[in-house]
Amino acid sequence: MSPPLLGLLPFGLVCGVGAQSAGASVWQSLGLSGFMFSGAAQILATQLVASGAPTAVTILTCFVVGLRFLMYSAAMAPHLRSLPPRWRHALAFMLTDQAFAVGIRRFRDSGDKRGAASYFLGSGVLLWVTWQCSCLVGYWAGNVIPTTWSLDFIVPLCFLSLLLPTLEDHSMRIAALASGVAVVALDALPMRLSLVCAGLIGIAAGIISQRRAR
Amino acid sequence: MSTAWAWWIVIFVVGALNYVSRLSFIALFAHVEMPPLVARALRYVPSTMLAAIVVPGVVFTAPSTLAFSYTNPKLVAAAVAASIAWRSRSPTATMAGGMVALWLAQWALRG
Repeated sequence: MSPPLLGLLPFGLVCGVGAQSAGASVWQSLGLSGFMFSGAAQILATQLVASGAPTAVTILTCFVVGLRFLMYSAAMAPHLRSLPPRWRHALAFMLTDQAFAVGIRRFRDSGDKRGAASYFLGSGVLLWVTWQCSCLVGYWAGNVIPTTWSLDFIVPLCFLSLLLPTLEDHSMRIAALASGVAVVALDALPMRLSLVCAGLIGIAAGIISQRRAR
Repeated sequence: MSTAWAWWIVIFVVGALNYVSRLSFIALFAHVEMPPLVARALRYVPSTMLAAIVVPGVVFTAPSTLAFSYTNPKLVAAAVAASIAWRSRSPTATMAGGMVALWLAQWALRG
């Protein structure tokens, strides 16, 4: 669990700095990190509110960026089926990029669903608490760290370290490659639709390459 | 509408929408049988989404400024980090090695 936590710290700092410089109060900054619980959405929301964008535009943009949660939700669904509804409702709140990447691996590797669910809940709570703390530190003191240190680069590094172990077979590598190319090619799409479109293209490429291999 | 209200509306509406997105299929497939093609497609979600998150953070040096060349320190650092990740399988070593590589590359490519 430590790597996602390490990756979270600089990301939270960046989000906290963003909220502070956009003119949010400390309570609003806590609201952003506590309820949205999504770095990408928080950064977009602060940028858009600060630039005076209409509230509806801000909400729509954040929602579109959150469409990837639909995919995470679907991928997690078979593993959570046998759990009581209140477990499912609690675990759904924890479904962030990091918790998903760590949790789905645990569910696939272990036959013990309840054990994996407890692990997922525990890591989700830990991620949530860490996220609130690092956003708060960013809000109050984030500007102390010079930007030349490029600490925010830990965020892609963290996801890279989670990505490589998933590339176990040929079709997974094709899927990731297609997604990586597509996200750059579609960068001009509004509201960062490139993210979810690249995900879908990658999935299609993976399925096709698996069919061919057979 | 005052900005204070705009903040709170955005916070609660986006928070609620995020939760609905996160719960959506977990709730649906608790009651409905998942079609086999969907189940097969979902195997690719971790790899594709992680790639879609990582790649822009490495190849763009500024918003919509694509730098696919060895003079982009982030690309150099990501290549080093990927080779560390591939061999060591250790996320901590990957992040530490990647940051050191980034600082070295930034220093070497300066000016």
